[in-house]
Amino acid sequence: MLPCALPAQRTGEAIRIDYVEETLPNGLKVIYHVDRSTPVAAVDIWYNVGSKHEQQGRTGFAHLFEHMMFKGSKNVADGQHFALLEDAGARAGSDINGTTSWDRTNYFEQLPSNQLELALWLESDRMGTLVETLTQEKLDNQREVVKNERRQSVDNQPYGTWLEKTLGHAYPEGHPYHHSVIGSMEDLSAATVDDVKNFFRTYYAPNNAVLVVAGDIDVNQAKQLVRKHFGDIARGPAAPPLRDMTLPATLGGARREVVQDANAPVPAVFITYRVPNARDRRATAVDLLAAAIGQGRSSPLYERLVREQQIATGVSAFNFGLVDGADLLIVNAQGKPGASADSLEKAVIAELDRVAASITQAHLDRVKASGRFQLVNTLQVTGGFGGRADLLAQAWTYYRDPNWVNTQLADIDRVTLADLRALAAERLVPTNRVTLVYVPARAPQAGAQPSAPGQ
Amino acid sequence: MRRINYPLIAAAALLAAAPAAAQEQPPAPSALRPYQVPRVEDFRLANGLRVVVVPQPALPIVHGRILVNAGSIYEPLEKNGLASLTGQLLDEGIQGMTGAEIAARIEQLGAQMGTGAGYAGGTAQVTSLKSVFPEALELAARTVTQPTFPEGEFTRVRNEALAGAVQRRSRVEGLAAEAFSQALFAPTAPYSRQAAGTPESLQAITREDVVAWHRRMYAPGNATLLLVGDVTAQEARQWAQRVLGGWSAPAPQLPAVSNPVQAHSGTRIILVDRPGSVQSGVAAGQAAIAQNDPDYYALDALTQVLGGGFQARINTNLRERHGYTYGAFAGFNPLLGVGTLSINSAVRTNATDSALVEIVSEYRRLAAEPVPEAELRGGLANIVGSFPSSVQTVQGLAGRMERVLMYGLPLDYWASYRERQSAVTPADLTAVAGRRLTPNALTIVVAGDLSKIEAPIRARNLGTVEVWDASGKKIR
Repeated sequence: MLPCALPAQRTGEAIRIDYVEETLPNGLKVIYHVDRSTPVAAVDIWYNVGSKHEQQGRTGFAHLFEHMMFKGSKNVADGQHFALLEDAGARAGSDINGTTSWDRTNYFEQLPSNQLELALWLESDRMGTLVETLTQEKLDNQREVVKNERRQSVDNQPYGTWLEKTLGHAYPEGHPYHHSVIGSMEDLSAATVDDVKNFFRTYYAPNNAVLVVAGDIDVNQAKQLVRKHFGDIARGPAAPPLRDMTLPATLGGARREVVQDANAPVPAVFITYRVPNARDRRATAVDLLAAAIGQGRSSPLYERLVREQQIATGVSAFNFGLVDGADLLIVNAQGKPGASADSLEKAVIAELDRVAASITQAHLDRVKASGRFQLVNTLQVTGGFGGRADLLAQAWTYYRDPNWVNTQLADIDRVTLADLRALAAERLVPTNRVTLVYVPARAPQAGAQPSAPGQ
Repeated sequence: MRRINYPLIAAAALLAAAPAAAQEQPPAPSALRPYQVPRVEDFRLANGLRVVVVPQPALPIVHGRILVNAGSIYEPLEKNGLASLTGQLLDEGIQGMTGAEIAARIEQLGAQMGTGAGYAGGTAQVTSLKSVFPEALELAARTVTQPTFPEGEFTRVRNEALAGAVQRRSRVEGLAAEAFSQALFAPTAPYSRQAAGTPESLQAITREDVVAWHRRMYAPGNATLLLVGDVTAQEARQWAQRVLGGWSAPAPQLPAVSNPVQAHSGTRIILVDRPGSVQSGVAAGQAAIAQNDPDYYALDALTQVLGGGFQARINTNLRERHGYTYGAFAGFNPLLGVGTLSINSAVRTNATDSALVEIVSEYRRLAAEPVPEAELRGGLANIVGSFPSSVQTVQGLAGRMERVLMYGLPLDYWASYRERQSAVTPADLTAVAGRRLTPNALTIVVAGDLSKIEAPIRARNLGTVEVWDASGKKIR
């Protein structure tokens, strides 16, 4: 058990999340973690399926499917999943949700610990019986909801297309990371009830998932409940192997696109580099490099572009943590109103070109300190986004090792300035760069529909 | 804290919600382990600074918040954005350190720090591991007590605030929210304006204004230090005395604040054009009440039923039944002396008028028909049951405590809050709906592509229709 024993020093000590793991006969991996500091429990299931598993012509399907998981199953009527959980004291969105990424799909509940069995029952019912109550009407309804989600997050937002454009340039046509998770309107329209059934049978089997039960629980009791609700679900066929996702280390040539954006009030640039993926031994160095470049107000990008040159009003740098092929390191800068997109682009690139030389031990020390703090900060919550349960589920899904969460601090400590400089010198180079330049454009004439593309 | 009988409440809700066709019934809850809200300590330093401490030592993290009654509600009408700009500038330079040096030191400690101001208060917040917290808190304290507001940083930060205001108006959600405040409150009301200011108002603010504002408003007698997390009352006293005990400044006479509501009979619809929009941002509602109003608990429960979650009426209608949106929710936002109640959503352009019809109809139903007991019990169980997880983090617990301080509520408010909230009855809802809801005099703001939505909205005859520009000027 974690809470009171955690050391408070700034460097190096072991932070442990203790856990118990087992595998049911049907292949379901289960991880239990006890933390009794509040009477809150979390259930978190990660299925080993994401948008990278989608077929040609079905972009966005893994995510559309995720929506169908909330539309009822054999013993749970449409609408009852949220209704039962909300009435049990869980908040929609932060405590009850499902999310889809390139590499996995997850479903979670965080609720008063006396309601643990309700969450297990709901997850088991949809894992076991989802397609028994599937209808065309339910699919059509959620297709509309997802199209609205796309409008809200992509088509109607300033710079909303940056992600799908970046992926389109950074990964070759046909590569599983080439398209965005939300997918295209056209492909969403094409999805059928049979697609939902096939996807369910292919990927939503107990042997393709990890279940984490965390928080104010008794492990023996929780084990009994898990067996009671999940033990009878039949093992599925092994999921088909992924396409080969390996890629050359770098892009092999600069890519650049200028986007006229009617929604954008000021210019912005998005600059992307291919970097080692989250399963690579350099993964922690990639995280720290992104942080050192542009996170926080003492990063070189912030100091030069926002504070000194004052050409940008904000900068950020981050990586996705994709686990196959190559990950991406992305730098974003927003220009001040009226600034020229061209000079913003030049200024950002000038800084990135000298990062390998300009980054210092002080920069690295700061992001290491932030990384250590962030880890403890995250551990404050049992479930929901990024809490203890999520960390354990991620550890299993990506690394097949729950103990991965306990090695994070040591990984951070090991990274040196030389590692960061070598990575920057190798990867932050013009021939490995995708540049998107967003230029504010006048709104289209009345009657002209802005494109809702998906390629 | 007295024990509350949650299992009964939850069981009643489950029973009522159980689907008729289901073959298996949902499992019943077991006995709930009670959650005890941490005890709050409260004292004053000799210079008048109030210190409030909430020990929660589960992890070695401490959160500190210095709250000064220096929010935008106190700023002069013609200087909208002054309080916010002052707050943002606090950590851009202190005696002996530049803004860049402060940022570097804070990050070196692995701390998170931020300064700013909203409607009610100016704030410096800091969170870190306990071992470095005394130094992090000292830096945060110095941003409040000895900021230097360098000229160069003033110009830069004002330009960034201007850019932020421009960015806000580039999104339909931002346009709708800004116009909603302007439509709801009279032009003299501080709540009619954005605390962050507008592109127009920020231009008029000078560095001298900021210096004078800080000198007038930031004083120990007008401030509270809130400490939450792995901290004892004794440590809090030592730290507070060390970093803020020497702070000396005369406390201001806070001006009386009045937020009159715009009177209108009938529902008023305001349209803001954003050509090319594929969705429209909608904010629809009315003025409401403050958190210290006796009707607070019933109105909060009523809001929960209307739009407090996924299964609530407005999301079930607009998203799940009609597919007009990705999500629709209602929010009750208690402010000082007044509050707002609104339904917010982004809806498909070609369904905007239909969505408005549904919003008005749900609002009217809430006012006209008694809320069924089971629906109320479910809503209350959600508000009350989710409380412990909402205060698992030091930041979440501090947010709750800030409300107590802002309203002058008793310090043990949250310890007994769940009992008071659970006591709301269907009769209370009916009474409060009658007293507080104005379903026939709503304020509705829609930001979207007027070439597509204006004519259909007018054809629905839901109320008088006006068209405004992004700054709130009436065009027609």
